Amino acid sequence: MKILIIGASAAGTAAIESIRRYDQESSIVQLSDERHQLYSRCLLSYYLSDSIPREGLQYRDPGFHSQMRVELHEGTRAVHLDTDRQCVTCDDGSVHEFDKLLIATGSLAKFPAYIPQGMEGVNVLRTLDDVEMIRTNVRRARRAVVLGGGLIGMKAAVALNECGLVTSVVVRSSRVLSQMIDQEASHFVTERLGASSIEVFFKTDITEVESRGNTLEAVRTDSGQRIPCELLVVAKGVQPNTDLIADTDIRKRWGIETNAHMQTSRENIYAAGDVAETFDITTGRHAVSALWTCAVQQGHLAGLNMIGRGKAYDGAVLMNSLSIGGIPLISYGVTNPPEGEGYQVITREQGRAGVYKKIVLKEHRIRGIILLGRIDNAGVLLSLIQRREDVSSFEDRLVSDQFGYGTLVGSVGAPDLARYHNP
Amino acid sequence: MKRVICRMDRCLGCRACELACAVEHSESRTLVTAVREAVKPRARIRVEAVDGGLHRTLALQCRQCEEPVCAQACISGGIRRDERTGDVLMDPGRCVACWSCIMVCPFGAIMRHEGLHRAVKCDHCPGRDIPACVEACPTGALVFVEFTAVTPHGLTEQRPHSQAERSDRIV
Ligand SMILES: Cc1cc2nc3c(=O)[nH]c(=O)nc-3n(C[C@H](O)[C@H](O)[C@H](O)COP(=O)(O)OP(=O)(O)OC[C@H]3O[C@@H](n4cnc5c(N)ncnc54)[C@H](O)[C@@H]3O)c2cc1C
Repeated sequence: MKILIIGASAAGTAAIESIRRYDQESSIVQLSDERHQLYSRCLLSYYLSDSIPREGLQYRDPGFHSQMRVELHEGTRAVHLDTDRQCVTCDDGSVHEFDKLLIATGSLAKFPAYIPQGMEGVNVLRTLDDVEMIRTNVRRARRAVVLGGGLIGMKAAVALNECGLVTSVVVRSSRVLSQMIDQEASHFVTERLGASSIEVFFKTDITEVESRGNTLEAVRTDSGQRIPCELLVVAKGVQPNTDLIADTDIRKRWGIETNAHMQTSRENIYAAGDVAETFDITTGRHAVSALWTCAVQQGHLAGLNMIGRGKAYDGAVLMNSLSIGGIPLISYGVTNPPEGEGYQVITREQGRAGVYKKIVLKEHRIRGIILLGRIDNAGVLLSLIQRREDVSSFEDRLVSDQFGYGTLVGSVGAPDLARYHNP
Repeated sequence: MKRVICRMDRCLGCRACELACAVEHSESRTLVTAVREAVKPRARIRVEAVDGGLHRTLALQCRQCEEPVCAQACISGGIRRDERTGDVLMDPGRCVACWSCIMVCPFGAIMRHEGLHRAVKCDHCPGRDIPACVEACPTGALVFVEFTAVTPHGLTEQRPHSQAERSDRIV
Protein backbone atom coordinates (compact mmCIF):
# COMPACT_ATOMS: atom_id res chain seq x y z
CA MET A 1 0.00 0.00 0.00
CA LYS A 2 1.14 3.55 -0.74
CA ILE A 3 0.73 5.87 2.20
CA LEU A 4 1.21 9.61 1.79
CA ILE A 5 1.42 11.98 4.75
CA ILE A 6 1.39 15.75 4.39
CA GLY A 7 2.96 17.54 7.34
CA ALA A 8 5.83 16.37 9.52
CA SER A 9 4.88 17.50 13.00
CA ALA A 10 2.90 16.06 15.92
CA ALA A 11 0.14 14.29 13.99
CA GLY A 12 2.22 13.13 11.02
CA THR A 13 4.94 11.69 13.24
CA ALA A 14 2.51 9.87 15.52
CA ALA A 15 0.86 8.31 12.47
CA ILE A 16 4.19 6.99 11.21
CA GLU A 17 4.99 5.44 14.56
CA SER A 18 1.72 3.57 14.82
CA ILE A 19 1.80 2.44 11.19
CA ARG A 20 5.31 1.03 11.52
CA ARG A 21 4.44 -0.75 14.72
CA TYR A 22 2.30 -3.14 12.68
CA ASP A 23 3.10 -2.58 9.04
CA GLN A 24 6.60 -2.93 7.62
CA GLU A 25 5.36 -3.43 4.06
CA SER A 26 3.60 -0.25 3.02
CA SER A 27 5.62 2.57 1.58
CA ILE A 28 5.38 5.87 3.41
CA VAL A 29 6.09 9.19 1.73
CA GLN A 30 5.95 12.35 3.83
CA LEU A 31 5.90 15.93 2.57
CA SER A 32 6.90 18.90 4.68
CA ASP A 33 7.21 22.49 3.58
CA GLU A 34 9.48 23.19 6.54
CA ARG A 35 13.18 22.46 6.40
CA HIS A 36 13.81 21.66 10.03
CA GLN A 37 12.54 18.18 10.58
CA LEU A 38 10.89 16.93 13.70
CA TYR A 39 11.11 19.73 16.15
CA SER A 40 8.55 20.20 18.87
CA ARG A 41 6.51 23.32 18.27
CA CYS A 42 5.51 23.45 21.94
CA LEU A 43 9.15 23.88 22.92
CA LEU A 44 9.73 26.93 20.75
CA SER A 45 9.22 29.40 23.58
CA TYR A 46 11.77 27.50 25.69
CA TYR A 47 14.32 27.87 22.91
CA LEU A 48 13.39 31.52 22.52
CA SER A 49 14.46 32.16 26.12
CA ASP A 50 17.48 29.84 25.85
CA SER A 51 16.03 27.50 28.47
CA ILE A 52 16.88 24.73 26.04
CA PRO A 53 19.45 24.63 23.22
CA ARG A 54 18.34 24.41 19.61
CA GLU A 55 19.07 20.65 19.53
CA GLY A 56 16.70 20.30 22.48
CA LEU A 57 13.80 21.03 20.11
CA GLN A 58 14.24 17.67 18.41
CA TYR A 59 11.89 15.24 20.04
CA ARG A 60 12.92 12.15 18.11
CA ASP A 61 16.32 10.77 17.11
CA PRO A 62 17.85 12.40 14.04
CA GLY A 63 17.67 9.00 12.31
CA PHE A 64 13.92 8.74 12.84
CA HIS A 65 12.83 8.82 9.21
CA SER A 66 15.37 6.27 8.02
CA GLN A 67 14.60 4.00 10.97
CA MET A 68 10.93 4.20 10.10
CA ARG A 69 11.72 3.85 6.41
CA VAL A 70 9.92 7.02 5.48
CA GLU A 71 10.77 8.90 2.32
CA LEU A 72 10.71 12.45 3.62
CA HIS A 73 10.62 15.37 1.21
CA GLU A 74 11.63 18.48 3.12
CA GLY A 75 11.00 21.96 1.85
CA THR A 76 8.32 20.54 -0.42
CA ARG A 77 4.86 22.02 -0.39
CA ALA A 78 1.82 20.07 -1.54
CA VAL A 79 -0.16 22.45 -3.71
CA HIS A 80 -2.85 20.37 -5.34
CA LEU A 81 -4.91 17.37 -4.32
CA ASP A 82 -6.73 15.29 -6.90
CA THR A 83 -9.20 13.20 -4.93
CA ASP A 84 -10.35 11.12 -7.91
CA ARG A 85 -6.96 10.16 -9.27
CA GLN A 86 -5.63 9.95 -5.71
CA CYS A 87 -2.52 12.02 -6.16
CA VAL A 88 -0.90 15.15 -4.80
CA THR A 89 1.15 17.66 -6.76
CA CYS A 90 3.93 19.64 -5.12
CA ASP A 91 5.42 23.08 -5.71
CA ASP A 92 8.52 21.45 -7.22
CA GLY A 93 6.34 19.75 -9.82
CA SER A 94 6.60 16.28 -8.32
CA VAL A 95 3.46 14.14 -8.18
CA HIS A 96 2.78 11.56 -5.49
CA GLU A 97 0.11 8.92 -5.82
CA PHE A 98 -1.46 7.36 -2.79
CA ASP A 99 -3.77 4.59 -1.64
CA LYS A 100 -4.22 6.34 1.69
CA LEU A 101 -3.56 9.99 2.42
CA LEU A 102 -3.19 11.72 5.78
CA ILE A 103 -3.63 15.47 5.82
CA ALA A 104 -1.69 16.71 8.85
CA THR A 105 -1.05 20.25 7.70
CA GLY A 106 -1.67 21.80 11.12
CA SER A 107 -2.61 25.40 11.58
CA LEU A 108 -1.45 28.87 10.69
CA ALA A 109 -1.05 31.85 12.98
CA LYS A 110 -3.81 34.40 12.47
CA PHE A 111 -2.62 37.83 11.55
CA PRO A 112 -5.12 40.67 11.99
CA ALA A 113 -5.42 42.94 8.97
CA TYR A 114 -4.67 46.10 10.97
CA ILE A 115 -1.14 44.93 11.77
CA PRO A 116 1.23 45.64 8.89
CA GLN A 117 2.96 42.53 7.59
CA GLY A 118 6.65 42.48 6.87
CA MET A 119 7.57 45.25 9.29
CA GLU A 120 10.84 44.68 11.07
CA GLY A 121 10.15 43.75 14.69
CA VAL A 122 6.67 42.35 14.04
CA ASN A 123 6.48 38.56 14.31
CA VAL A 124 4.24 35.59 14.90
CA LEU A 125 5.34 32.53 16.90
CA ARG A 126 4.54 29.38 14.99
CA THR A 127 7.62 27.90 13.35
CA LEU A 128 11.29 27.53 14.09
CA ASP A 129 11.98 30.13 11.41
CA ASP A 130 9.68 32.54 13.28
CA VAL A 131 11.63 31.97 16.48
CA GLU A 132 14.97 32.52 14.80
CA MET A 133 13.62 35.84 13.57
CA ILE A 134 12.34 36.79 17.03
CA ARG A 135 15.70 35.84 18.54
CA THR A 136 17.43 38.18 16.13
CA ASN A 137 15.01 40.95 17.02
CA VAL A 138 15.42 40.33 20.75
CA ARG A 139 19.10 41.23 20.51
CA ARG A 140 18.33 44.80 19.53
CA ALA A 141 15.15 45.22 21.57
CA ARG A 142 14.52 46.57 25.05
CA ARG A 143 10.74 46.40 25.18
CA ALA A 144 8.33 43.83 23.80
CA VAL A 145 4.58 43.74 23.37
CA VAL A 146 2.61 40.53 22.97
CA LEU A 147 -0.80 40.82 21.34
CA GLY A 148 -3.09 38.08 22.64
CA GLY A 149 -3.42 36.38 26.02
CA GLY A 150 -3.89 32.78 24.92
CA LEU A 151 -1.49 29.91 25.53
CA ILE A 152 1.00 30.98 22.89
CA GLY A 153 0.80 34.64 23.93
CA MET A 154 1.48 33.71 27.53
CA LYS A 155 4.37 31.43 26.63
CA ALA A 156 5.82 34.16 24.43
CA ALA A 157 5.47 36.80 27.15
CA VAL A 158 7.15 34.64 29.77
CA ALA A 159 10.00 33.82 27.38
CA LEU A 160 10.57 37.43 26.32
CA ASN A 161 10.55 38.50 29.94
CA GLU A 162 13.18 35.84 30.63
CA CYS A 163 15.21 37.30 27.77
CA GLY A 164 15.36 40.47 29.83
CA LEU A 165 12.90 42.54 27.80
CA VAL A 166 10.33 44.75 29.48
CA THR A 167 7.23 42.87 28.40
CA SER A 168 3.59 43.88 28.15
CA VAL A 169 0.62 41.81 27.03
CA VAL A 170 -2.37 43.34 25.29
CA VAL A 171 -5.52 41.25 25.75
CA ARG A 172 -8.95 41.96 24.33
CA SER A 173 -10.85 39.95 26.90
CA SER A 174 -11.09 40.62 30.63
CA ARG A 175 -8.84 37.71 31.48
CA VAL A 176 -5.78 35.87 30.27
CA LEU A 177 -6.02 32.32 28.88
CA SER A 178 -9.71 32.96 28.38
CA GLN A 179 -10.27 29.68 26.50
CA MET A 180 -8.61 27.78 29.27
CA ILE A 181 -9.44 29.24 32.66
CA ASP A 182 -11.92 31.45 34.52
CA GLN A 183 -11.74 34.91 36.06
CA GLU A 184 -10.42 33.69 39.44
CA ALA A 185 -7.60 31.64 37.96
CA SER A 186 -6.80 34.46 35.56
CA HIS A 187 -6.48 36.74 38.56
CA PHE A 188 -3.88 34.40 40.13
CA VAL A 189 -1.98 34.16 36.87
CA THR A 190 -1.98 37.92 36.31
CA GLU A 191 -0.61 38.41 39.81
CA ARG A 192 2.22 36.00 39.12
CA LEU A 193 2.98 37.72 35.84
CA GLY A 194 3.02 41.03 37.68
CA ALA A 195 5.50 39.59 40.17
CA SER A 196 7.89 38.97 37.30
CA SER A 197 7.01 42.46 36.01
CA ILE A 198 4.96 41.43 32.98
CA GLU A 199 2.21 44.00 32.62
CA VAL A 200 -1.17 42.95 31.23
CA PHE A 201 -3.57 45.42 29.60
CA PHE A 202 -7.07 43.93 29.69
CA LYS A 203 -9.98 44.82 27.40
CA THR A 204 -7.49 46.50 25.15
CA ASP A 205 -6.59 46.17 21.51
CA ILE A 206 -3.86 47.59 19.36
CA THR A 207 -5.14 50.22 16.94
CA GLU A 208 -1.97 51.42 15.35
CA VAL A 209 1.60 50.36 14.84
CA GLU A 210 4.22 53.11 14.63
CA SER A 211 7.45 52.69 12.78
CA ARG A 212 10.52 54.54 11.71
CA GLY A 213 11.18 53.50 8.15
CA ASN A 214 10.20 49.86 8.21
CA THR A 215 11.24 49.32 11.82
CA LEU A 216 8.73 49.04 14.66
CA GLU A 217 8.85 51.79 17.27
CA ALA A 218 5.64 51.64 19.28
CA VAL A 219 2.06 50.45 19.36
CA ARG A 220 -1.02 52.51 20.18
CA THR A 221 -4.01 51.02 21.92
CA ASP A 222 -7.72 51.80 21.86
CA SER A 223 -7.44 53.04 25.43
CA GLY A 224 -5.18 55.79 24.21
CA GLN A 225 -1.86 54.41 25.38
CA ARG A 226 1.33 54.48 23.41
CA ILE A 227 3.67 51.63 24.31
CA PRO A 228 7.15 52.05 22.87
CA CYS A 229 8.56 48.69 21.77
CA GLU A 230 11.04 47.22 19.33
CA LEU A 231 9.34 43.84 19.22
CA LEU A 232 5.70 42.85 18.73
CA VAL A 233 4.62 39.23 18.84
CA VAL A 234 1.19 38.68 17.37
CA ALA A 235 -0.55 35.75 19.09
CA LYS A 236 -4.17 36.14 18.06
CA GLY A 237 -4.83 32.45 17.72
CA VAL A 238 -4.58 29.96 14.91
CA GLN A 239 -6.67 28.70 12.04
CA PRO A 240 -6.65 25.27 10.42
CA ASN A 241 -4.44 25.10 7.36
CA THR A 242 -7.04 23.73 4.94
CA ASP A 243 -5.68 25.27 1.72
CA LEU A 244 -5.08 21.90 0.17
CA ILE A 245 -8.74 20.88 0.13
CA ALA A 246 -10.00 24.22 -1.13
CA ASP A 247 -10.91 22.93 -4.58
CA THR A 248 -11.98 19.44 -3.55
CA ASP A 249 -15.32 18.22 -2.29
CA ILE A 250 -13.85 17.20 1.07
CA ARG A 251 -16.16 18.62 3.71
CA LYS A 252 -14.99 21.22 6.16
CA ARG A 253 -16.47 23.59 8.67
CA TRP A 254 -13.76 25.38 10.65
CA GLY A 255 -11.42 22.43 10.23
CA ILE A 256 -11.64 19.36 8.02
CA GLU A 257 -14.55 17.21 9.16
CA THR A 258 -13.53 13.77 10.39
CA ASN A 259 -15.38 10.76 11.75
CA ALA A 260 -14.33 8.60 14.71
CA HIS A 261 -11.81 6.86 12.48
CA MET A 262 -10.21 10.15 11.48
CA GLN A 263 -11.57 9.74 7.97
CA THR A 264 -12.64 12.75 5.97
CA SER A 265 -15.69 12.69 3.71
CA ARG A 266 -13.44 10.88 1.21
CA GLU A 267 -12.86 7.29 2.22
CA ASN A 268 -9.14 7.07 1.59
CA ILE A 269 -8.29 10.49 2.91
CA TYR A 270 -7.72 11.05 6.61
CA ALA A 271 -7.04 14.18 8.62
CA ALA A 272 -5.53 14.61 12.08
CA GLY A 273 -4.18 17.30 14.37
CA ASP A 274 -4.72 21.05 14.20
CA VAL A 275 -6.28 20.82 10.74
CA ALA A 276 -8.99 18.37 11.79
CA GLU A 277 -12.34 18.83 13.41
CA THR A 278 -13.31 16.03 15.78
CA PHE A 279 -15.89 15.19 18.39
CA ASP A 280 -15.28 16.94 21.70
CA ILE A 281 -16.26 14.87 24.72
CA THR A 282 -16.89 17.76 27.10
CA THR A 283 -19.09 19.85 24.84
CA GLY A 284 -20.61 17.09 22.74
CA ARG A 285 -19.91 19.16 19.64
CA HIS A 286 -17.35 18.95 16.88
CA ALA A 287 -14.39 21.27 17.13
CA VAL A 288 -10.75 21.79 16.25
CA SER A 289 -8.60 21.11 19.28
CA ALA A 290 -5.34 22.74 18.14
CA LEU A 291 -3.35 21.01 20.86
CA TRP A 292 -0.26 18.84 20.81
CA THR A 293 -1.71 16.03 22.93
CA CYS A 294 -4.80 15.80 20.73
CA ALA A 295 -2.74 15.97 17.53
CA VAL A 296 -0.57 13.06 18.67
CA GLN A 297 -3.57 10.99 19.68
CA GLN A 298 -5.41 11.69 16.44
CA GLY A 299 -2.32 11.03 14.33
CA HIS A 300 -1.82 7.78 16.15
CA LEU A 301 -5.41 6.68 15.48
CA ALA A 302 -5.34 7.87 11.89
CA GLY A 303 -2.23 5.74 11.34
CA LEU A 304 -3.90 2.65 12.80
CA ASN A 305 -7.07 3.17 10.80
CA MET A 306 -5.18 3.72 7.57
CA ILE A 307 -3.66 0.27 7.86
CA GLY A 308 -6.99 -1.26 8.76
CA ARG A 309 -6.45 -1.74 12.46
CA GLY A 310 -9.68 0.09 13.03
CA LYS A 311 -9.87 1.89 16.29
CA ALA A 312 -12.40 4.54 17.12
CA TYR A 313 -11.59 7.89 18.69
CA ASP A 314 -13.51 8.59 21.90
CA GLY A 315 -13.19 12.24 21.09
CA ALA A 316 -11.00 15.05 22.23
CA VAL A 317 -10.81 16.71 25.61
CA LEU A 318 -9.27 20.14 25.38
CA MET A 319 -6.44 20.28 27.87
CA ASN A 320 -3.58 22.53 28.68
CA SER A 321 -0.73 22.51 31.10
CA LEU A 322 1.74 25.24 31.82
CA SER A 323 3.76 26.87 34.56
CA ILE A 324 3.48 30.55 35.22
CA GLY A 325 6.06 31.96 37.59
CA GLY A 326 6.66 28.48 38.97
CA ILE A 327 2.94 27.86 39.63
CA PRO A 328 1.60 24.83 37.78
CA LEU A 329 -1.70 25.19 35.97
CA ILE A 330 -3.75 22.51 34.24
CA SER A 331 -7.19 22.84 32.74
CA TYR A 332 -9.60 20.62 30.83
CA GLY A 333 -12.81 21.10 28.89
CA VAL A 334 -15.52 23.56 29.86
CA THR A 335 -14.15 25.88 32.54
CA ASN A 336 -16.57 28.76 32.06
CA PRO A 337 -19.94 27.04 31.87
CA PRO A 338 -22.77 29.14 30.43
CA GLU A 339 -25.54 30.09 32.86
CA GLY A 340 -28.81 28.24 32.84
CA GLU A 341 -27.66 25.13 31.06
CA GLY A 342 -27.65 22.86 34.07
CA TYR A 343 -23.98 23.06 34.95
CA GLN A 344 -22.89 22.77 38.54
CA VAL A 345 -19.61 24.02 39.92
CA ILE A 346 -17.44 22.93 42.86
CA THR A 347 -14.50 25.11 43.82
CA ARG A 348 -11.84 25.20 46.46
CA GLU A 349 -9.64 28.20 46.97
CA GLN A 350 -6.70 28.64 49.31
CA GLY A 351 -5.51 32.05 48.33
CA ARG A 352 -2.45 32.14 50.54
CA ALA A 353 -1.23 28.73 49.50
CA GLY A 354 -1.81 29.74 45.89
CA VAL A 355 -4.21 26.87 45.32
CA TYR A 356 -7.40 27.01 43.28
CA LYS A 357 -9.41 24.04 42.08
CA LYS A 358 -12.63 24.06 40.11
CA ILE A 359 -14.71 21.18 38.85
CA VAL A 360 -17.55 21.78 36.38
CA LEU A 361 -20.23 19.11 36.34
CA LYS A 362 -23.30 18.38 34.28
CA GLU A 363 -25.60 15.46 34.99
CA HIS A 364 -23.05 14.23 37.57
CA ARG A 365 -20.35 13.99 34.95
CA ILE A 366 -17.22 16.13 34.88
CA ARG A 367 -17.19 18.54 31.96
CA GLY A 368 -14.35 20.82 32.95
CA ILE A 369 -11.53 21.25 35.46
CA ILE A 370 -9.09 23.93 36.58
CA LEU A 371 -6.20 22.96 38.82
CA LEU A 372 -3.88 25.71 39.95
CA GLY A 373 -1.03 25.28 42.40
CA ARG A 374 -1.74 21.60 43.09
CA ILE A 375 -1.92 19.38 40.06
CA ASP A 376 -1.19 15.95 41.54
CA ASN A 377 -3.55 13.33 40.19
CA ALA A 378 -4.79 15.63 37.45
CA GLY A 379 -4.86 12.72 34.98
CA VAL A 380 -7.08 10.68 37.30
CA LEU A 381 -9.70 13.40 36.99
CA LEU A 382 -9.20 13.42 33.22
CA SER A 383 -9.90 9.69 33.11
CA LEU A 384 -13.28 10.41 34.71
CA ILE A 385 -14.10 12.86 31.92
CA GLN A 386 -13.01 10.35 29.29
CA ARG A 387 -15.03 7.54 30.85
CA ARG A 388 -18.02 9.85 31.33
CA GLU A 389 -18.18 8.48 34.84
CA ASP A 390 -21.02 9.34 37.21
CA VAL A 391 -19.13 10.96 40.08
CA SER A 392 -22.05 11.62 42.45
CA SER A 393 -20.84 9.14 45.07
CA PHE A 394 -17.58 11.04 45.61
CA GLU A 395 -18.36 14.49 44.29
CA ASP A 396 -17.36 16.11 47.58
CA ARG A 397 -13.87 14.63 47.34
CA LEU A 398 -13.00 15.75 43.82
CA VAL A 399 -11.29 18.96 44.91
CA SER A 400 -9.52 17.41 47.89
CA ASP A 401 -5.76 16.94 47.68
CA GLN A 402 -6.32 13.38 48.86
CA PHE A 403 -8.39 12.54 45.80
CA GLY A 404 -6.63 10.01 43.63
CA TYR A 405 -6.71 6.65 41.98
CA GLY A 406 -7.39 5.06 45.37
CA THR A 407 -10.65 7.00 45.58
CA LEU A 408 -11.76 5.38 42.33
CA VAL A 409 -10.80 1.90 43.45
CA GLY A 410 -12.92 2.47 46.56
CA SER A 411 -15.93 3.86 44.71
CA VAL A 412 -16.52 3.24 41.03
CA GLY A 413 -13.91 0.52 40.79
CA ALA A 414 -10.59 0.61 39.06
CA PRO A 415 -10.74 2.17 35.64
CA ASP A 416 -10.42 -0.15 32.72
CA LEU A 417 -6.70 -0.45 32.87
CA ALA A 418 -6.65 -2.84 29.99
CA ARG A 419 -7.06 0.25 27.87
CA TYR A 420 -3.55 1.33 28.68
CA HIS A 421 -2.06 -2.11 28.37
CA ASN A 422 -3.57 -3.54 25.22
CA PRO A 423 -2.60 -1.51 22.22
CA MET B 1 8.27 -8.14 32.24
CA LYS B 2 8.07 -7.50 35.92
CA ARG B 3 5.66 -5.24 37.71
CA VAL B 4 5.12 -4.11 41.25
CA ILE B 5 1.75 -5.29 42.50
CA CYS B 6 0.02 -4.09 45.62
CA ARG B 7 -2.04 -6.64 47.49
CA MET B 8 -4.51 -4.30 49.04
CA ASP B 9 -5.63 -6.57 51.84
CA ARG B 10 -2.11 -6.46 53.24
CA CYS B 11 -1.45 -2.75 52.81
CA LEU B 12 -1.54 -1.00 56.20
CA GLY B 13 -0.80 2.43 54.84
CA CYS B 14 2.41 2.64 56.88
CA ARG B 15 4.20 4.48 54.10
CA ALA B 16 7.45 2.58 54.54
CA CYS B 17 7.47 2.26 50.75
CA GLU B 18 7.34 6.02 50.27
CA LEU B 19 10.25 6.50 52.62
CA ALA B 20 12.34 3.77 51.03
CA CYS B 21 11.63 5.13 47.56
CA ALA B 22 12.63 8.66 48.50
CA VAL B 23 15.86 7.44 50.09
CA GLU B 24 16.67 5.21 47.12
CA HIS B 25 16.30 8.21 44.82
CA SER B 26 18.29 10.57 47.01
CA GLU B 27 21.86 11.68 46.46
CA SER B 28 23.32 9.70 49.38
CA ARG B 29 20.86 6.78 49.45
CA THR B 30 21.01 6.71 53.24
CA LEU B 31 18.11 7.81 55.39
CA VAL B 32 20.00 9.94 57.93
CA THR B 33 21.84 11.93 55.31
CA ALA B 34 19.05 11.91 52.73
CA VAL B 35 16.76 13.97 54.95
CA ARG B 36 19.42 16.67 55.18
CA GLU B 37 20.13 16.94 51.48
CA ALA B 38 19.76 20.35 49.88
CA VAL B 39 17.30 19.02 47.32
CA LYS B 40 14.66 17.23 49.34
CA PRO B 41 14.33 13.64 48.07
CA ARG B 42 10.90 12.69 46.78
CA ALA B 43 9.09 9.38 46.61
CA ARG B 44 7.80 8.02 43.31
CA ILE B 45 5.23 5.86 45.07
CA ARG B 46 2.21 7.11 46.97
CA VAL B 47 -0.02 5.52 49.57
CA GLU B 48 -3.61 6.34 48.79
CA ALA B 49 -6.78 6.09 50.80
CA VAL B 50 -9.31 3.80 49.18
CA ASP B 51 -12.31 4.64 51.34
CA GLY B 52 -11.74 8.24 52.31
CA GLY B 53 -10.20 7.33 55.67
CA LEU B 54 -7.08 5.25 56.09
CA HIS B 55 -8.80 1.95 56.79
CA ARG B 56 -8.15 0.67 53.31
CA THR B 57 -5.12 1.85 51.46
CA LEU B 58 -3.05 0.98 48.48
CA ALA B 59 0.41 1.95 47.37
CA LEU B 60 0.62 3.04 43.79
CA GLN B 61 3.39 3.88 41.37
CA CYS B 62 3.83 3.97 37.59
CA ARG B 63 2.00 1.06 35.95
CA GLN B 64 4.51 0.91 33.09
CA CYS B 65 1.70 0.98 30.52
CA GLU B 66 2.14 -0.83 27.27
CA GLU B 67 0.76 2.16 25.47
CA PRO B 68 1.88 5.01 27.72
CA VAL B 69 -0.27 8.08 27.29
CA CYS B 70 2.40 10.10 29.10
CA ALA B 71 4.83 9.35 26.28
CA GLN B 72 2.26 10.50 23.74
CA ALA B 73 1.66 13.72 25.63
CA CYS B 74 5.30 14.58 26.33
CA ILE B 75 6.16 17.62 24.24
CA SER B 76 9.89 16.94 24.25
CA GLY B 77 10.00 13.22 23.45
CA GLY B 78 11.44 12.59 26.90
CA ILE B 79 9.35 9.52 27.74
CA ARG B 80 9.66 6.23 25.95
CA ARG B 81 8.99 2.57 26.54
CA ASP B 82 11.87 0.12 26.63
CA GLU B 83 10.56 -2.70 24.46
CA ARG B 84 12.86 -5.21 26.14
CA THR B 85 11.97 -4.63 29.80
CA GLY B 86 8.58 -3.07 29.20
CA ASP B 87 9.56 -0.22 31.52
CA VAL B 88 8.50 3.31 30.68
CA LEU B 89 11.56 5.51 30.96
CA MET B 90 11.98 9.22 31.48
CA ASP B 91 14.96 11.11 30.17
CA PRO B 92 15.58 13.73 32.86
CA GLY B 93 17.62 15.90 30.52
CA ARG B 94 14.63 16.42 28.23
CA CYS B 95 12.05 17.41 30.82
CA VAL B 96 11.04 21.06 30.62
CA ALA B 97 8.62 20.82 33.55
CA CYS B 98 5.50 21.49 31.46
CA TRP B 99 3.60 18.76 33.35
CA SER B 100 1.85 17.42 30.25
CA CYS B 101 2.55 13.89 31.52
CA ILE B 102 0.86 14.64 34.84
CA MET B 103 -2.05 16.07 32.88
CA VAL B 104 -2.75 12.71 31.22
CA CYS B 105 -1.55 9.92 33.54
CA PRO B 106 -4.76 8.09 34.54
CA PHE B 107 -3.09 6.76 37.70
CA GLY B 108 -1.68 10.00 39.01
CA ALA B 109 1.65 8.17 39.11
CA ILE B 110 3.84 10.99 37.84
CA MET B 111 5.01 13.53 40.36
CA ARG B 112 6.30 17.04 40.24
CA HIS B 113 9.75 17.19 41.83
CA GLU B 114 9.92 20.79 42.91
CA GLY B 115 13.55 20.62 43.99
CA LEU B 116 14.74 19.20 40.69
CA HIS B 117 12.13 21.15 38.76
CA ARG B 118 11.12 18.18 36.68
CA ALA B 119 8.68 15.30 36.55
CA VAL B 120 9.61 12.01 38.18
CA LYS B 121 8.09 8.56 38.33
CA CYS B 122 8.87 4.98 39.26
CA ASP B 123 11.89 3.58 37.41
CA HIS B 124 11.91 0.14 39.08
CA CYS B 125 15.15 1.16 40.84
CA PRO B 126 17.83 0.55 38.22
CA GLY B 127 20.72 -1.44 39.62
CA ARG B 128 18.54 -3.28 42.11
CA ASP B 129 17.03 -6.73 41.69
CA ILE B 130 14.07 -5.84 43.83
CA PRO B 131 12.73 -2.28 43.94
CA ALA B 132 13.29 -0.47 47.24
CA CYS B 133 9.57 -0.12 47.99
CA VAL B 134 9.01 -3.87 47.69
CA GLU B 135 11.98 -4.63 49.88
CA ALA B 136 10.82 -2.18 52.51
CA CYS B 137 7.21 -3.33 52.66
CA PRO B 138 6.82 -4.94 56.12
CA THR B 139 3.67 -6.92 55.32
CA GLY B 140 4.44 -8.28 51.89
CA ALA B 141 1.72 -6.15 50.33
CA LEU B 142 4.09 -5.02 47.61
CA VAL B 143 5.49 -7.74 45.43
CA PHE B 144 7.61 -7.63 42.29
CA VAL B 145 6.32 -10.29 39.95
CA GLU B 146 6.37 -11.42 36.39
CA PHE B 147 3.48 -9.75 34.67
CA THR B 148 1.03 -12.02 32.93
CA ALA B 149 -2.26 -10.52 31.95
CA VAL B 150 -4.69 -7.78 32.55
CA THR B 151 -8.07 -8.85 33.85
CA PRO B 152 -11.14 -7.83 31.87
CA HIS B 153 -12.33 -5.52 34.64
CA GLY B 154 -9.10 -3.67 34.72
CA LEU B 155 -6.20 -4.70 36.81
CA THR B 156 -7.94 -5.15 40.12
CA GLU B 157 -8.31 -8.78 40.79
CA GLN B 158 -10.47 -9.80 43.69
CA ARG B 159 -10.44 -13.30 45.01
CA PRO B 160 -13.15 -14.67 47.29
CA HIS B 161 -12.76 -14.15 51.04
CA SER B 162 -12.60 -17.81 51.83
CA GLN B 163 -9.45 -18.36 49.91
CA ALA B 164 -6.36 -18.70 52.05
CA GLU B 165 -4.62 -15.88 50.33
CA ARG B 166 -7.30 -13.40 49.51
CA SER B 167 -5.98 -10.42 47.73
CA ASP B 168 -7.20 -7.38 45.93
CA ARG B 169 -4.47 -6.89 43.49
CA ILE B 170 -3.67 -3.69 41.78
CA VAL B 171 -1.28 -4.47 39.02
C1 LIG C 1 4.80 28.38 20.49
C2 LIG C 1 3.78 27.28 20.59
C3 LIG C 1 3.58 26.66 21.81
C4 LIG C 1 2.65 25.63 21.93
N1 LIG C 1 2.49 25.05 23.13
C5 LIG C 1 1.59 24.04 23.27
C6 LIG C 1 1.43 23.38 24.51
O1 LIG C 1 2.08 23.69 25.50
N2 LIG C 1 0.52 22.38 24.59
C7 LIG C 1 -0.21 21.99 23.52
O2 LIG C 1 -1.02 21.07 23.64
N3 LIG C 1 -0.06 22.59 22.33
C8 LIG C 1 0.80 23.60 22.18
N4 LIG C 1 0.96 24.21 20.96
C9 LIG C 1 0.14 23.73 19.84
C10 LIG C 1 0.81 22.52 19.15
O3 LIG C 1 2.11 22.83 18.79
C11 LIG C 1 0.00 22.09 17.95
O4 LIG C 1 -1.28 21.70 18.38
C12 LIG C 1 0.64 20.92 17.20
O5 LIG C 1 1.90 21.26 16.73
C13 LIG C 1 -0.25 20.46 16.05
O6 LIG C 1 0.41 19.46 15.33
P1 LIG C 1 0.02 19.13 13.84
O7 LIG C 1 0.89 17.97 13.45
O8 LIG C 1 -1.43 18.99 13.71
O9 LIG C 1 0.38 20.42 12.98
P2 LIG C 1 1.60 21.43 12.94
O10 LIG C 1 2.47 21.29 14.12
O11 LIG C 1 1.03 22.76 12.65
O12 LIG C 1 2.44 20.93 11.68
C14 LIG C 1 1.94 20.91 10.39
C15 LIG C 1 3.11 20.85 9.44
O13 LIG C 1 2.65 20.67 8.11
C16 LIG C 1 3.35 21.56 7.26
N5 LIG C 1 2.51 21.83 6.09
C17 LIG C 1 1.35 22.55 6.07
N6 LIG C 1 0.84 22.58 4.81
C18 LIG C 1 1.68 21.86 4.04
C19 LIG C 1 1.68 21.54 2.65
N7 LIG C 1 0.71 21.94 1.84
N8 LIG C 1 2.70 20.79 2.18
C20 LIG C 1 3.70 20.36 3.00
N9 LIG C 1 3.73 20.64 4.31
C21 LIG C 1 2.74 21.38 4.84
C22 LIG C 1 3.57 22.77 8.13
O14 LIG C 1 4.58 23.59 7.65
C23 LIG C 1 3.95 22.11 9.44
O15 LIG C 1 5.30 21.80 9.49
C24 LIG C 1 1.89 25.23 20.80
C25 LIG C 1 2.09 25.85 19.58
C26 LIG C 1 3.03 26.87 19.45
C27 LIG C 1 3.23 27.52 18.13
